[in-house]
Amino acid sequence: MAAVPAKIRAYAKQLLQLSLDEKGAVSAERVAGVLAYLEKNPPARFPLVLVAYRKLVAAEIAKGEARVEHAGPVAPAALDGIAAALGKRYGRAVTATATPNPKLLAGLRVRIGDDVFESSVAGQLAALSAA
Amino acid sequence: MSTVLAQIESQIAKLSSKAVRKNTGVITNVADGVAKVEGLSEVMYNEMVAFPGGVIGIALNLAEDEVGCVVLGDVSQLKQGDEVQTTGKLLSVPVGKGLLGRAVDALGNPVDGKGPISSTEFYPVEKIAPGIMARKSVSQPLFTGIMAIDSMIPIGRGQRELIIGDRGTGKTTIAIDTIINQANINRVGLASGDPKFRPVYSIYVAIGQKNSNIVRTIAALEAAGALEFTVIVAAPAADNPANQYLAPYSGAAIGEWFMENGMDALIVYDDLSKHAVAYRQISLILKRPSGREAYPGDVFYLHSRLLERAARLDGKGSLTALPIIETLAGDVSAYIPTNVISITDGQIFLETDLFNQGIRPAVSVGLSVSRVGSAAQIKVTKQVGGKLKGELAQFRELAAFAQFGSDLDAKTKAQLDRGSRIVELFKQPAFSPISIELQAVTIYALQKGYYDNVDLKKVTATSVSIREFFKARYDALLTEIRTKAALDKDLEAKIVAALDAWKSTHTA
Repeated sequence: MAAVPAKIRAYAKQLLQLSLDEKGAVSAERVAGVLAYLEKNPPARFPLVLVAYRKLVAAEIAKGEARVEHAGPVAPAALDGIAAALGKRYGRAVTATATPNPKLLAGLRVRIGDDVFESSVAGQLAALSAA
Repeated sequence: MSTVLAQIESQIAKLSSKAVRKNTGVITNVADGVAKVEGLSEVMYNEMVAFPGGVIGIALNLAEDEVGCVVLGDVSQLKQGDEVQTTGKLLSVPVGKGLLGRAVDALGNPVDGKGPISSTEFYPVEKIAPGIMARKSVSQPLFTGIMAIDSMIPIGRGQRELIIGDRGTGKTTIAIDTIINQANINRVGLASGDPKFRPVYSIYVAIGQKNSNIVRTIAALEAAGALEFTVIVAAPAADNPANQYLAPYSGAAIGEWFMENGMDALIVYDDLSKHAVAYRQISLILKRPSGREAYPGDVFYLHSRLLERAARLDGKGSLTALPIIETLAGDVSAYIPTNVISITDGQIFLETDLFNQGIRPAVSVGLSVSRVGSAAQIKVTKQVGGKLKGELAQFRELAAFAQFGSDLDAKTKAQLDRGSRIVELFKQPAFSPISIELQAVTIYALQKGYYDNVDLKKVTATSVSIREFFKARYDALLTEIRTKAALDKDLEAKIVAALDAWKSTHTA
């Protein structure tokens, strides 16, 4: 995968800044505005700009989305609790979505942005076997 | 049955439910031992990262949107999309006396098949060298067991003395001889029960060498009984460049443990030319800007930060470094050789011509120098060998001059004769270091003219015979020379008497 040229990266970053609302969250309305502008005034290497822009927006959205993997049932209240706790930790609005993953054996694994919070039996066993 | 299950379940419930936070990323590109990773937003410079399958890497390039990691292990297992985790730890290696007699790789894992290493302590591979206040000047000798070096280019504990020369001039042999000599001194010293005796432990770091050469070195050390005082850090040519780049720092960490704990250690980096080449490879793959000879801009810092870690610490121990540099066609003014020459406290320059003439060790007296070692030289060596370097230099000058003229005055002839006798005297076979007291006796015999009537070709054999004679009959005298470390009239008389006794038995 060839690296995206620095100029395009910087341009995509500017576009991302324009896509954030006052609270710093990605707003659908603003993204639509950015896209409409780009369509009207296509920059050089338009597809590459769009790809870079998409990547940045996806990363930004991932920072506010907690993906909770779980083995066994998870109460909606627990999900809300996780979302609230992470929201406090990262200082932004966080939504939590649950996906079952029986490979965890028991417990939870929460992914948000680059971070992984591991609290599953599978994770502990892996840590034990690595030690 | 249900009670058994309940027991297991309660055990599960007892397991810590505390969530472990990890910063992760995804591999976007793996090539030439370097993985580019997206994510890892909180990774630190030089931090260890964990790839799947227990493979470890180091984050070396922190860019805005990707992290360049060198992979220290099997790259073939990794693929695009694999998850990478930060570990929050800097790369560390096991240290301690448990490593003595063992061969380890750049990460401190045993490679000699002798089982796990008993070590509880770990030291970081990269560490800032001791500062000004912690240091003490070099004043204790470190004997190499090689007469030409101990008498003319003395090395002290905590010094960095470069061994430089073309391929096949005996650079490694000098280092191995020194390690063997330390083992010999350790054995005598530890057996004497002297509480003031400070053993020297050795670390031999093999970088980019053939595995067969490393095996030969280990065999030579084992045959000489030096392996028990030695740690081998091996990053052979087949190892990936990241390991070759790290091996000297791992060795330095192992040596630092001895230094920090009040012991003395000797570290040999064999060789730093290949180390620079490995680092150049990594840097080019990481797309760092290249400079002269395509080496990256920080290739000086690469070696200076490594060699600065060798020091003598106030109130603690010392770490003496013997880096080795291979030159091409005797060119000491190339990039890496000049860098390392300027960092070290002197160099031992080995010449191909001398080597081919049979003068081994092929030390070039004119170009070799020790900048701090004379402060560490013991008095007896100064007394017997103080003028040798000057005499040899004069001899070289005269020898070049005498090639053209046949009629020489008696004084010049005498100087030439003496010079060629000194050259013969300093010839010494590989892996047979000579103890400092025997060196003193050998050179004392030269000063008193005991070789003057000997045929030039037999000078080396005669010196061996003197040493054998002293070893067999005058053990107490040798011990006295070693412990007094200086010649007084009484001691001189004893040596002369012994030499006369030798002369009466010796037939050339």
